[in-house]
Amino acid sequence: MQSILFWSAVTLYALATVAWFAWAAFGRKWGAGAGTALLALGLLPHAGSLAMRWIEVGHGPYNTRYEVISADTFILVAVWLVASMVARGLRGLGVFVAPSAFLLMGWAVSTFELKREVPIIFKSWWLVMHIGFAKLFFASILLAACCAAAWLIKERKPSALASLPSREKLDLYAHQFMIVSFLFLGVMIAAGALWAHQSWGRYWGWDPIETSALVTWIVFGIVLHFRVLHRWSGRRMAWLTFVALGFAVVTIFVVAILVPTIHNSYMVGS
Amino acid sequence: MSRLVSLLRSPRLVLAVIAFLAVWTGVGAWAPWMQPEGPPPPPWAVAVGLAHPFTSWPFLVVVALLFASTLACTWGRRARTLAIRRGELPPSATRLPPRAADLRAFLASEGFRGEGEVLTRFGPALWGGWVLHVGLLVLIAAVLVQHALSDSGTFDLSEGERASLAAHGTVFGREKGPLAPDALPDLDVALVRFDPFRKQHGYSSDRLSELEVSGRGVAARTETIDRAAGIRAGDVEIFQAIPSGMALTLDVPGMGMRTVRLQPEGPRRAAAEVTSPSGEPMRLVVDSESDLGGPAGPGKLLVWMESRGTRRALMPGSPFPFGVGEARVLGMGRWGRFTYTRTPGLWGVFAGFAMILAGCTLLAFPAGVARLGRPGETAAAVVFTIRGGSALAAEWERAGPPA
Ligand code: HEM
Repeated sequence: MQSILFWSAVTLYALATVAWFAWAAFGRKWGAGAGTALLALGLLPHAGSLAMRWIEVGHGPYNTRYEVISADTFILVAVWLVASMVARGLRGLGVFVAPSAFLLMGWAVSTFELKREVPIIFKSWWLVMHIGFAKLFFASILLAACCAAAWLIKERKPSALASLPSREKLDLYAHQFMIVSFLFLGVMIAAGALWAHQSWGRYWGWDPIETSALVTWIVFGIVLHFRVLHRWSGRRMAWLTFVALGFAVVTIFVVAILVPTIHNSYMVGS
Repeated sequence: MSRLVSLLRSPRLVLAVIAFLAVWTGVGAWAPWMQPEGPPPPPWAVAVGLAHPFTSWPFLVVVALLFASTLACTWGRRARTLAIRRGELPPSATRLPPRAADLRAFLASEGFRGEGEVLTRFGPALWGGWVLHVGLLVLIAAVLVQHALSDSGTFDLSEGERASLAAHGTVFGREKGPLAPDALPDLDVALVRFDPFRKQHGYSSDRLSELEVSGRGVAARTETIDRAAGIRAGDVEIFQAIPSGMALTLDVPGMGMRTVRLQPEGPRRAAAEVTSPSGEPMRLVVDSESDLGGPAGPGKLLVWMESRGTRRALMPGSPFPFGVGEARVLGMGRWGRFTYTRTPGLWGVFAGFAMILAGCTLLAFPAGVARLGRPGETAAAVVFTIRGGSALAAEWERAGPPA
C-alpha cells in the first residue's frame, strides 16, 4: 500500500511536469491549471505514503535518504501551493516545482526499501523543530532560485512564461523568499543548538554540518546585504541567489553524504 | 571620531568583515587537522592562527570588528526608524509621479493603510533590521561572557561506584573559562546501574544509566540518564557520554574496594595497567567469548593477571598475590563516561538567538511607509519600503497614464 501511494504521487508529479511543459513550451493555457491541480492532488497520496512509513518505523521522516528526500519534496510542493495562494503570481513557478518534485522523488526511491532505527539522541522536540525548519529552509531557497531562474528567462525572452508576474515582481519575490529562507535557516540553527545543549551540554561543537549551516547563513546575510546596502537586483542578484542555493544544497545534502559527522544518519542510503 | 564611525558603517567594510568570517569559519572547520585523528597543522596554519581557528587572534579581532561595525550601524537607527514612521522618509525612498489613477486606492491595494497624509504597511515590521542587528550584538557579547563563565569536565564511573566530583582524580579533561570558579562542583555521584545496550522503544539501543546525585544544596535523588538528555543538580548538568568498557572490582588489602576500568584492546579483549601497593607494574586482562561491545553480551569471561612475563587466571572470590598481600576479584561490570557542565550566562546566548529570529520574522513582512505629496512637490507620493520599491513604481506606472 505504501509503495502504491508513493508511486501514485510520483505519477501525478510526472503528469504535472508534462502539463506545465505544455504551458511553458507551447503556450497551452490549460497546462497551468492542470499542472497545479495535479501537483496539489499528488500531495494526498504523498502524505499517505509518508504517514504509513512513519507508523511503520515509529519515527518521523528524518532518518534515511528516502524518508528525508520524500518529505523535502512534500514540503516543497506544499510551500509553493501556500505561497501561490498568498501571491497568485507565484503559481507559474509550478513549471519549476513540478520537475523538481518528480526528480527528487526519483532520487528518494533509490533507497525506498531501507529502514533504520533512529539513535536515541533523536528523542527531542528540538530535533523536530530543527528538521522541520531545515525542510522549510530548503523549500524556500529553492523557490527563491525558481524566481531568479524565471527572471533570467524573461530577461532573454520577455514574452516567455507569460502568466508569471513582471521581472520587478519576480525580483521582489526572490528577495522575499530569501529573507524567509534566512529566517528558517536561523531557526534551524538555533533549534539545533538547543538540541545539542539538551543532549551533550554544549550548544556549539564546530561539527562540519553545523559549521556549513553557519557559513550558509552568513552567505545569505552577505547576499541580502548586497541587495540592501549596494542595491543590487536583477541579473547579478539572480546569480547570487543561485550561489545561495548552492550553499544550501551543500549544507543539506552534500556534507551529510560525504563527510562522516553526527549528522550522517539522516542521509544514509545503504 | 566621525571618520571612524563612517568607516565602520561603510558597506564595503561590513561585507568584507562578514565575508572574512564566512571563509575563515569554513576553512577552520574543514581543515584536515581539525578533523578527529587528523594530521598535525602545517607551519603556515600555525603562523596565521588556523591551528586553533576559533580562539586565535585574527578570528577574535574580526569578531570584535563585526561587533563594532554592527554597533556603529545600529546606533541612531532607532531614531531613523521613528522618523520614517512619522513620514520623514530618506532620499532613497521611491517617488511616485502624478498619474491619472486613484493613488489612495493604489496604495491600499499594495497594503498601505491610514487616513491622513502618512500611510503604513506592516508598520511594526519596520523594526526588523534594528531588532536583528541588536540581536547580533547581544549574541556576540553573550557568547563571549558565557565562554568566560563556562566550566565542564569528564568523569568515569563503574557500576556500583560512588565518587565526589571535587575529590582529586575524579574529574579529567576539564575546560573552564577565565571567569569560572576554580573549585570543582561540590557533588557526589554514584552509578547505581549502567546498561550500555538499553533498548528504548523506537530507538536503537544505547547507553542508559541510573545515577544517584547529592551535594551541597542538592537533595539526594536517583535519576535515569541517556544520551538524549542530561540531568540537572543545582547549577550543574550531567550528561551521558559515549565511551564505556569493562570494569573489575577488586578487594585490595589495606585499600578496600577498588575499581579498575579496562580499555578495549580488541573486539574480545580489554586490559588495564595497574600498580600493586608495593609499586609493581601489572596488567589485568579480560578475554571474552563474544564481542565485548556486542549487544548480545560478551558471553563467558576469563580474567588474567600479567606480571613479569607470567600470566595467571583469576577466579572470582579466590585470592591472588597483589604486592605485599593478597587481593580478590569481587565482581565484573561496566563503566560509563559522563560529562558535567556549568553554563551560567547561557540564557544570554539564547536571548541573542531569539532576538535575531524575531528580527528576521519582522523582516519577512515587506514593511513600508507612504507619504502623500505636499503642495509644491512634484511627486504624488513618496514611498519607503524595506524592499520592492522598483516593483511598486512599475505597478504604479501600469496604473494609469501620466497626469
Ligand atoms: C558588520 C555588521 C553589520 C552591519 C553594519 C549591518 C548593516 C546593515 C544595514 C544598514 C542593513 C539595511 C537596513 C535594514 O534593512 O534595516 C542591513 C540589513 C540586513 N542585515 Fe546587516 N549588518 C551587519 C551585520 C549583519 C550580519 C552578521 C548579518 C547576518 C548574517 C546581517 C543580516 C542582515 C539582514 C538579513 C538584513 C536585511 C536584508 C533585507 O531586508 O533584505 N547583518 N544590515
